[in-house]
Formats: sequence, C-alpha cells, structure tokens
Amino acid sequence: MSIHKNCYFLLILVLNIYALVSGDGVNVTASDSVDTLTQSSPYSPAAAVVLVNSPVFRKPDVDSIFSLNLLSSFPEDEEISVYCSDLLHIFGQRYVTYVNCSVNSARPVKVCQNCYSSYGSLTEIYLKISSDEVVTGNESCRDSILRNDRLMLVYLLYNNLEDIWGKSDCAYCVTKGFHSLTNDTLYFLSSVNQTLTCFEKYKEGNHTELCKSCKNPYRGLNELYSRMETNKTMCIDIEDVMNVTRKLWSKEYNCSFPREETVPVIAVSSFMLFLPIIFYLSSFLHSEQKKRKLIHPKRARSYNTLMNIQDKLS
Amino acid sequence: MANITKKVSWSSRADESGATAEGTPLLNGSEQPRPSRQLSRDGIFQVGRLSTVDLEEEMTSEEESLRGRPKEIPHNEKLLSLKFESLDYDNIENQLFLEEERRMSYMGFRCLEISRWVVCGLIGFLTGLIACFIDIAVEELAGIKYRVVKENIEKFTEVGGLSISLILWAVLNSAIVMMGAILVAFFEPIAAGSGIPQIKCYLNGVKIPRVVRLKTLVVKVCGVICSVVGGLAVGKEGPMIHSGAVVAAGVSQGRSTSLKRDFKIFEYFRRDTEKRDFVSAGAAAGVSAAFGAPVGGVLFSLEEGASFWNQMLTWRIFFASMISTFTLNFFLSIYDNKPGDLSNPGLINFGRFESDSVAYNLYEIPLFIAMGAFGGLLGALFNKLNYWLTIFRIRYVHRPCLQVMEAMLVAAVTAAVSFTMIYFSNDCQPLGAENKEKYPLQLFCADGEYNSMATIFFNTPEISVRSLFHTQAGTYNPLTLGLFTITYFFLACWTYGLAVSAGVFIPALLIGAAWGRLFGILLASITPNGSIWADPGKYALIGAAAQLGGVVRMTLSLTVIMVEATGNVTYGLPIMLVLMTAKIVGDYFVEGLYDIHIKLQSVPFLHWDAPATSHWLTAREVMSAPVTCLNRIEKVGTIVDILSNTSTNHNGFPVVMQGADSDEPSKLCGLILRSQLIVLLKHKVFSIHVSQDERECMMDLTEFMNATPYTVPLETSLPRVFKLFRALGLRHLVVADDVNRVVGLVTRKDLARYHLGRHGLEELQLAQT
Repeated sequence: MSIHKNCYFLLILVLNIYALVSGDGVNVTASDSVDTLTQSSPYSPAAAVVLVNSPVFRKPDVDSIFSLNLLSSFPEDEEISVYCSDLLHIFGQRYVTYVNCSVNSARPVKVCQNCYSSYGSLTEIYLKISSDEVVTGNESCRDSILRNDRLMLVYLLYNNLEDIWGKSDCAYCVTKGFHSLTNDTLYFLSSVNQTLTCFEKYKEGNHTELCKSCKNPYRGLNELYSRMETNKTMCIDIEDVMNVTRKLWSKEYNCSFPREETVPVIAVSSFMLFLPIIFYLSSFLHSEQKKRKLIHPKRARSYNTLMNIQDKLS
Repeated sequence: MANITKKVSWSSRADESGATAEGTPLLNGSEQPRPSRQLSRDGIFQVGRLSTVDLEEEMTSEEESLRGRPKEIPHNEKLLSLKFESLDYDNIENQLFLEEERRMSYMGFRCLEISRWVVCGLIGFLTGLIACFIDIAVEELAGIKYRVVKENIEKFTEVGGLSISLILWAVLNSAIVMMGAILVAFFEPIAAGSGIPQIKCYLNGVKIPRVVRLKTLVVKVCGVICSVVGGLAVGKEGPMIHSGAVVAAGVSQGRSTSLKRDFKIFEYFRRDTEKRDFVSAGAAAGVSAAFGAPVGGVLFSLEEGASFWNQMLTWRIFFASMISTFTLNFFLSIYDNKPGDLSNPGLINFGRFESDSVAYNLYEIPLFIAMGAFGGLLGALFNKLNYWLTIFRIRYVHRPCLQVMEAMLVAAVTAAVSFTMIYFSNDCQPLGAENKEKYPLQLFCADGEYNSMATIFFNTPEISVRSLFHTQAGTYNPLTLGLFTITYFFLACWTYGLAVSAGVFIPALLIGAAWGRLFGILLASITPNGSIWADPGKYALIGAAAQLGGVVRMTLSLTVIMVEATGNVTYGLPIMLVLMTAKIVGDYFVEGLYDIHIKLQSVPFLHWDAPATSHWLTAREVMSAPVTCLNRIEKVGTIVDILSNTSTNHNGFPVVMQGADSDEPSKLCGLILRSQLIVLLKHKVFSIHVSQDERECMMDLTEFMNATPYTVPLETSLPRVFKLFRALGLRHLVVADDVNRVVGLVTRKDLARYHLGRHGLEELQLAQT
C-alpha cells in the first residue's frame, strides 16, 4: 500500500461523507455537517501518516510507552483504512451527542422527543460501518472495525444504545426515517399540556375545585392514553408524562374515588354469608337423614367377625 | 312368564335391561355392560333374614329382635356398598373362547396389536381435543364474565353503588354454577367432583356404575366449564383425567351405551381386561393434557392401577400421553394465532422458571422440608374439614335440588367474599409492562395502579397460580397473601365435594403458592441479607407442591407432574423431598383426600396389601358360605329361579358335577357368570319367555363355564388370598375343601371389609346405598 493509494481513498471518503451528510437533510443540520468535515480533515492525513509507521494510530503521544513494543510489528494489511477510521471517528462523535442528549433528558423522560434525530444519525453511520461494501483491498469496514477482535467494542457500544432505544419504545413515537414525532404523540403532548395548565390554574386553594374542573380534560387524556395503549403507539415519554399526571391527580390532589360505600357492601356480603348458614341449618333440621340399611352377609361362621377377632387376639 | 331379562337383571330401568343382553357374544360375560343392580328394598330385607335363618346356630336375643327390621345406621366411612362390583380382569377360558382363539390366524393377532396402537392414538387425540375445547370455552366465557363485571365495577366506582356490582357478580356466578350443578345433580351424579377417586376405583378393578359413559363425559365437560367460569375455587385439571378415561372406554369398545349405537369395530376389545388397559391409557392421556406431563401421566396410571402392568402397555400408554399433549399444544397454538408454536403443552402451564435466577442452594433444603411439613399439616386440616363436610352432605344434603342450591350458595359466597376482600384491600401496585394483568381492577387505587388483591381473586385460578409463581418480588404484600391464603383455604375446602364437576389440584396449588410466596417474602425480610432469598416465586412453587402433596398424597407421579409442568429438572429433588415430608406428616393425621372420598363412597377398594396383622385370618373366616352352585347339566327352571331370586344377588356360580353315586359329594368343575347365563337363556337355548315346559329342559353348561377357576384351600391365610386376588384381578375365588367340594366363595367385598384402623383390625359392614 502506498501513500498515494491512501490519499485516493481519503478523497473518496470526503466525498462520501459529504454526500451522506447532505443526503439526510432534516436531521443533521448544515453546521453539523461542516463540523464533521472540519473535524475529520485534520485527522485524516495524520491518520494516514501514522498508518504507515505505527499500528497505534490515534494517540501516539499518550500511548507511546506502551506502544513501543508494538511498533512496526504489523504489516500494512492489518491496519484499518483511512476511510474506515474516519467513519469510526464520526461514529464516536455522534455517539457522544446521542448519549449526552439522552442523559440530559433522562428525568423527566424525554429521550424520544429530544434525541430521536441524533439517534437517527447514529444509526446511519453505524449502518455505513456495518455495510459489507469493500473499500480497501479485500476488507470492508465491517470486517476491520466490527469483527477484528474479541471485544468488538463498536458493536457492543452500538448494541447498548440500540437496546435502550428498543426498551424505550421510541420507535412508536417517531416517524420512519427519524424525521419527526408522530401526529399521535404530538396530539397527546398537547392534551397533556392542556391538563397540566388546568392543574396549574386551580392548584391554589381547595383541591375539590380542581378535581371538579379538571375532570374533563383529565379524563379525555386518560381515554386517549388507554386508546394509545391498546394501539401500541406509545413510547416511554408518553408513559412517563402520563404517570406523572396521574400521580398528581391521585396522590397530590387526591382526586381518586373515595371508599364510601362500606356499609352497603358489608351488609350485602354478610347477608350472603348468612344464607349458607340458614341453608345448612334447615337441611340439618328438616331434611331426613339418610340411613343405610346394613346387610348381614352369609358367612360360614355367623357373626364371627369382630367378636372372633377379639377372641383370637386375646 | 314375564319378561325374564327384566327380572333377572334387576335393572331399575327397562330400556337398560333391554340393551344389556342384546347382541352379546357368549365368549366373555364381562363384555356386557351390566346395569347397576339396584335391589329393591324388600329384596335386601330378605337377604338379611334368609342368611340369618340359614346360618345362625346360636342367636342372641338382641339379634332376634333385629331380624324383623334391618338395622339402619347413618352413613359413615366404615361401610361397603352393595352396588359396586368387580371387573372381570381374568379372561374366562371356556371352550368357546379357546375355539375362537384357535381360529384366529397369526395375521389376526398382528392386526389386533396394530389396532391397539391405533386406539391409543385416537384416545390421545380425542383427549387432547377435549382439553383444548374446555380450555378455550373457559377462557372465552370467563373473559366475557370478567369483562362485564369489570365494566360494572368501574362504572359504579365512579357514581357509587358498588354493592350492585357485588350482587351482579354473585348472581352471575350462581347462575353459571347452577347450570353446571343441575347437569350434574339431575342427569349424572357420578360426574361430580374431580373423578379421580372414581377412576382410581375403576383401575383398582371396581366397576363403578356409569362411570365411563358418554353421557358422563358430556356432563363432566359442560359441568367443569360451568364451575370454573362460575368462579368457584376449583380447577379443570382433575376432570380431564376422568374425561380421558371415558374417551378411552368409549373408543376402545367401539360402541356407546348412551347413544345406543354399536359401530361394530374393535369387538375383540370388549372385555374388561382390554377395556381397563385402555382406560388406564385414557387416564394417562388426561393427566398429560392437563399438566403437559406425558411421563407424569404414565406414572399416574402406574401408581393407581399398577397391579396389572407390562412393558408394552406402558409404552402404548406413553404413546397416548404424548399424542394427547401434542394435540392440545397444536390446537391451542392455532387458537393463539401462532400455529406451530408448541408452547402450551398443558391446561395449566406453570410457565418457565429460568434456572439461573431461581436455582436453589443446599442450605435451603431444610427450609423446603419444613415447608413440606407445614403443607402436610395444612393438607391434613383440609382433608379433615372436607371429611366432616362430606359426611354431612351425604347424610343431609342428598336431594338433587338441595345440592343445586348448595352449589349456588357457595358460588354466591365465593363472589361476596372475593369482592369484600378486594374492596377493603389497600394493596395497590403499579400497572406495568411486566405484570400484564388480564382484568386489572383499579377501584380506589390511584390512577395507573391496580388492586393487587384483585389479581388473585378476580381471575381464573390458573392465571392466579402463574402470577404467584412468576411476578417479581414486591407484587403482593404479605397481608394480601395471608388473607388470601386463609379465605381461599376455606373456600376450596367448602367447594370440594359439591355436586359440580371440578378438581382440587388447582385450588391446592393456589393455596400453597400463596403461603409459599408469603414465606419467601418473610424470609427475605427477616434475614439481614435478604437478597439471597430474593425470589419468592421459588418458594411459591415449593409451597404449592407441599400443599398439593398434603391434600392428595400422591408421590411419584405428582413429583414428575410438577417437574414436568415447571419444565425444570433442577427442582426434582426439592419437590420430591417436599412431597415426601408432606405425605409423612399428613398421613399421621388423616388419609389423602381421594382415599377419604373413596371410603365415603363405600367402595370395596383393595389396597396394595392385605392389612397388617391379618395372617391369622383364613379363607374360612373370609369367605361367604354357603354357595349357590349349579349342576353341570342344570334344569332351566332352576337357573331361572336362581337368577330371578332377589335374595341371591350373586354374579358367579360355581358349577359342580354330581358323582355317579348320589351319595358322593358334588365336585367343583367350573365357574359360570350371571351374564353368561342370561345370554344363554336369551340366545342359545330359549327365547326370553320361558314357558312352563321349557323350565323342565336341561341345559349343558360345560361349553360355557370357565373350566379352570382358581381355588384355594380352606386354611389359606388372608394375605395369601388377597395377593392372589389382587395380582390376578379376580372376581370370584372358590374355596374348596380337600375333596374339591365347594365350601365358599371369596369376592372383592369379602376382602375389602378388613382394614387396619386405630384400634387394630376392623371390619366394614355391608350396606345398601
């Protein structure tokens, strides 16, 4: 492999990234793409240079002590191409962006609303990495980055996020292609806001007022929620905001139904408990007891039974 | 002369007696489905009197006074009923039989073997289908009921008037249960209960009238659907065993008495030997469909009917079990819209315990054993209470309409108690994706939460069991579980023995799972490092095993059933230990529930061995004597008289040969059955009407009698007689003296009357029930 070849690939890479970034219009902003480009360009030549000399390509200064023994030990084939390392780098940035975003919207849960676009771009770059398109020699980036060692770090990292995404059910709230939130979600959020505004309005003073006034929006919200629950169009954001609202309603403002029919319930059930007693008593008193007619079996020695047993025993 | 069949078969119903004798071949008397012989009261009267007159040499004055009227006592467990008879497991080897067998070609026997397999396959298939039908029907109907009640409760929680919901629930329950109870009480009382005691008796060799009829099956299936949907504390698993047995009897015989149809197939199998083999296969298929436990099913048959067993039969039974569980699995997968996904092997599915999270440790074994002992205690209490209740029911609640009323009351009270418990429960749990409740009730819980008491009460019992096994720690709080255990214990105890078809497996499992889970929770809370006991589901499983073992006292088969139902062999050892302990502790107080019910039914049940300390009893004391014998060439009139004499309700008659010299004693030369004689009279020799002239005709019984009956000498000890009788499945055992004269006859009832009680050897009395 020569530097010349590497440069050739760098060119393709840059073009590729450009095409990629400009292709995903809504999610990744223009500044974002510029950012990527400017960030990746200084690295790429450096990486290319390092590639020739050392297998520890990223941070030669930090790891220099440890990397000494590895110096110049690998032939060129074992290195990853510039193109792939650039992909890796972008992956790292988007990864950080998404994780940052998720952590910031962890409580109250807003991971779907806030971070769907960064997740979208992360998926995109990962797809690129994991595509089996052959760029350098006979190896694709998938082979050189994802499956070259036991740890498979990139794969693991992405997998974790994918799990989180799956668990949060965000896919139900986001349109295909990570363009926007679904209409259902937006509608739901607006009706939550409506309810919360109502709560806000009557919060002061007596809560019975609140319970009465906000009943309608709250109930509409509940119905909407249960409809969405049955349709399976719910993500963690919706569940969480609903949970909070319900808690406010039932615990904070105490608008749950009171237990106030204790007496009739007790009366009816004790009446029912009383019935069997009457039944058994009356059948004991009035029903004719079933008697069994004993039959004396034919025996060679009559009535030898228990009497005989006792005789023999004694 | 009047219709002799009617007279000789003493049927209570004319149509039955008509059907009885028709088209019965002469080979095996046993092939005849003999109607239950219900003697007229007067007849019994005479038996008592005649026997006393004939036999009493010295009679006390007290007995003298008793002769006028038969002694009447209230029903208790120390009786043997006259209405039960033995099955003829032993082939009757008369000349006709031998001839027929000689005529059969080698191919014929091959075909028989093949058709045995076909029949077993059919049994498995049909049993699986029935299980599937029951399951789907219960799920759909219970779904409708719970949805209606839930909607109602939700409506009235808001506007007030929850007592109306309570009444609605109770009325719905009662109405559904009423249908089931009417079916059982008025149409087929034998279909009541789980049916396991009856099948146990049948496999033991007792012919229980109408127990394997098609009508019984229909009533059983409908009844069990009604009782489970009606919200009683019952399960649908026990009745499956009975259903399987009925299917087996019906398929293998190729005809149905209830439908009065004869399909003219499998005629070779119309003998008690074959029928009983198939019935054991059916019972196994039933267990297998109920619990998804094919091996457990085979072992159940082995445990209950094992005196007649061989490897080929075991293999066939296993085949039937497998087919049954597969059929159920397959059709349920279609019902669940996942055809081919075979993950529902049984009616009750304990779900999968993942072995890594709930593996047990060595130090937990003592705890398990302690739980087993507790389960044994609770089981004994359950059985004792149920025993008293059953005695009361037999004595006082014996009219069908009363039985229906009782069942309805139980259903209403069950609903009322459940409702009250739910109403006053403060145990609210958050709704979540992990605990998918089918019918979550909110009531006074905060929005987004559900009442945790309602998940166990407001559900079919199977789902509650699974929920107790598998929901994560913290789903139920201890108070809920404690209250539930207590109420459900009494409800289940009260319910078992009602005139509805329903099993006791699931309620016992449910009670056990509840206190087992409670135990697990308490264990975690009292130990400082609670996390090692973290999984209450494990203790729920052990508790369920302990409670079930304490109630039914099954050993080997129950262990295997539990292991198979959980799908985890790791738990084999703890479950076995628990069941052992439960049995030992429980047996110290009272017998198993099924044994109690068998006793209360006054069934002449033969246990494995003769009672201990009975070696000094000999055939002389055990046998009945004198014996009504027939001559080898007998006058028709005599036979007709003997058969129609209501005082001699015998089913087998030794045939004797008079020596050439008239002083010479008559020697035993064979045994002939009542059914054979009836067929002879009807078919062979005479028409139904025996005219006066015909009475004088002679009949040669040589060809038809069993020429080589088993005999024992007078001095044979009871255990020896018992062993012979039990191991060979005999019905009559002739007692002969040294010159081969008939001196007595031992039948099942003669042997079954001895049992070892608290005060040594006791003797049961014969009674008419």
